[in-house]
Amino acid sequence: MSRARKTGNIVSGVGHFVLIGWILFGGVFTSRPDPVEVQEVAMISGEEFQAMVDASRQPVEVAETPTPAAPEVTEDAPEVDAAPEEPAAAPIPEVAEPAEEPVEEVAPEVSQAAPELPQPPAEVTVEDAPVEETPVERPAEVVAPEPAPRPEPETVQEPTPQEAVVPEETGETVEQPQEAAETPEATDRIVTEAAQPPASAPNASMRPPARRPSAPRPTQTTQAPATPSQEESTVDDAAVQAALEAALSSAATDVPTGPPMSSGEKDALRLAVQNCWNVDPGARWAQTTVTIAMSMTQDGKVVSSSLRMIASEGGDASTANAAFGAARRAILLCQKEGYPLPQEKYGQWKEIEMTFNPERMRIR
Amino acid sequence: MKFLSIFAALICALGLATAVSAQQGPLRITIEEGIIQPLPFAVPDFQAETGEAGQLAGDLARVIAADLQGTGVFREIPNSAYIAQYDDFNAPVSFPDWKAINAQALVTGAVSVSGNNVNVKFRVYDVVSGTNLGEGLQFSGTTDGWRRMAHKVADEVYSRITGEGGYFDSRVVYVSETGPKDDRKKRLAIMDYDGANVSYLTDSNAIVLAPRFSPSGDRVLYTSYESGFPRIYVLDIGSVQQRVLESAEGTMSFAPRFSPSGNTVVFSISQGGNTDIYSMDIGSGQSVRLTNTPAIETAPSYNPDGSQIVFESDRSGTPQLYIMSASGGEARRISFGEGRYGTPVWSPRGDLVAFTKQHAGRFHIGVMRTDGSEERLLTASFLDEGPTWSPNGRVIMFTRETQGEGGASSLYSVDITGRVLRQVNTPEGGSDPSWSPLQQ
Repeated sequence: MSRARKTGNIVSGVGHFVLIGWILFGGVFTSRPDPVEVQEVAMISGEEFQAMVDASRQPVEVAETPTPAAPEVTEDAPEVDAAPEEPAAAPIPEVAEPAEEPVEEVAPEVSQAAPELPQPPAEVTVEDAPVEETPVERPAEVVAPEPAPRPEPETVQEPTPQEAVVPEETGETVEQPQEAAETPEATDRIVTEAAQPPASAPNASMRPPARRPSAPRPTQTTQAPATPSQEESTVDDAAVQAALEAALSSAATDVPTGPPMSSGEKDALRLAVQNCWNVDPGARWAQTTVTIAMSMTQDGKVVSSSLRMIASEGGDASTANAAFGAARRAILLCQKEGYPLPQEKYGQWKEIEMTFNPERMRIR
Repeated sequence: MKFLSIFAALICALGLATAVSAQQGPLRITIEEGIIQPLPFAVPDFQAETGEAGQLAGDLARVIAADLQGTGVFREIPNSAYIAQYDDFNAPVSFPDWKAINAQALVTGAVSVSGNNVNVKFRVYDVVSGTNLGEGLQFSGTTDGWRRMAHKVADEVYSRITGEGGYFDSRVVYVSETGPKDDRKKRLAIMDYDGANVSYLTDSNAIVLAPRFSPSGDRVLYTSYESGFPRIYVLDIGSVQQRVLESAEGTMSFAPRFSPSGNTVVFSISQGGNTDIYSMDIGSGQSVRLTNTPAIETAPSYNPDGSQIVFESDRSGTPQLYIMSASGGEARRISFGEGRYGTPVWSPRGDLVAFTKQHAGRFHIGVMRTDGSEERLLTASFLDEGPTWSPNGRVIMFTRETQGEGGASSLYSVDITGRVLRQVNTPEGGSDPSWSPLQQ
């Protein structure tokens, strides 16, 4: 055994001896009983107990003087309580019933026969529901005036677009008559339907503004830590601040985007377009992949003039043009009243790039 | 610690920047599935700009519509569905009226007749986007050639929409057959691709087989038994003059086909019970033997650039397809399926080989890639054989023979998807079709 180890054993042994002795005699494990409060109990007889009870009942008689006032208060109280309960219960059912009826009944009736609609449900609901009347009243007003006032703006447009087509046969001039011809027919229905949502509920909520970096922060951070590596920290903090500013400033300047597009929302768009993408599997363009960029309006419609091919792969210019034509037809055909895109995320789909890859449609 | 906090801040900033940039960029969607259905189109009767053009205005539109509809790629919307009546070629098109009847393409035109001359002009529109597809065009010709002018218009429409050449302004040479099966009369005939304008190039005194167009469409190679045994002839279509290609005495030559240049002919010679493939320079008459095996090797066909030849050989025991260099040499087998393969023809696009396949008692017309992959059978019947490609490589015409003693041969066409199968109307029976290139 080496000397060092021997010394260590000795030191260890002494240490353990001292520790054990301290535990045994130092009072570490001495039991200290919990303090118990002891009360003395005295035995009394039944007579003494009765005497004590009688003595305790005496003060009740003193309280009899205020009692006459109490019944007056209790008589008023039920009236007060009943009053708020009854009005609260009564109007609620009345409001709720008419509010639902007009929404369901007015819309279909108006769409079928304008003059017949306004009669029953709309008027009843207007009287009963003070706050929620607006959706009910509007259809009644729209229908009541009869077709004569309604077509003013649109009937004027009908003849104009067909004449306006004359100058050019391009897509821009063509779209005007298209809208003008369709809107009057749909006016009776669309007007009433369009009048409902704006009165009842907002279409979209405002996106909370992005946080802007506070200006004084950089000065605070650079001055506060007066450590030996002050220069380094100043440089680092400046870099951090610059990165934060770059990130946040871009966020602040963006259009309201909402939360990221979900895969379901993207799939809805994809499905809508592919239902109109007519692929000729035997054609040469079926071997060409094209990417098309487009701008969208907030109601989900494509700005047709913005459609452009930004990339093609797997064919020559003629097949790329044919593939572009098929893709463009698909995009424009299936938009109808607008693609099903979340308006609160408009900033994310304001610009869209669609890649049409026919590889899986190709004949093999 | 200090370093860690800085690092964390940078990571956060980077993540935020990434998220923001992801929101700022365009939304990217990939479409990989679509629908397969004919594209609806409308061809109203052309405007007759002169009194004599009244009948022609309607006839032109009908031929154009039939051409497009016959492809299976398009579907004509009948006149009865039209909302807007077309009567002025220069008037602006009311696209909403055509959209309302679901037309996606529109062809308008005008025709004028002056004496024997016809002038046809037309425009093509993409109704969905409301734009012109290319500029307007016009063709001039004689009244006799009005169908050709209609085919040319249809070719242009097809090309502008599909991005590839058409095949309507083309002709087909074939063997016209009449009479009972045991005494059938055969003669060479030529017609428009759709069976119109049939005329005959030979009489029926001798059996004729396997006519093949030259790349320029002005000559036809064919095999005739005029001399008692099969020999190859070259026929000039314009003058209907023919001459025999030189061959050695006592040999049988058949299955000829032009090279893409039109200067060389590749064919088979059967001699002493052995059949091999030869090529011949038409100008000099010099022949080169390309195969030299004891097997039967025949039905050679050049690829579009003339560098390779696909042919049929039973060197493996059953007839199969092989590819070799145009100058001969070692051949590579490309068909490995069950059954017997024959009459291969290289596609004008160069990517496919059409063939006849016999398997399990049925005959098929099929296609495969030039490496033998992706074999697809397009037809099935008692007897289908002898495929020939349309000029754009989109359609195959072939012979179909019905079963029984009274069985007759007729011409059919099928597109390479196998979806569009049609019989070609001919005044009599037909076999061995050969499709010409587009006419100039």
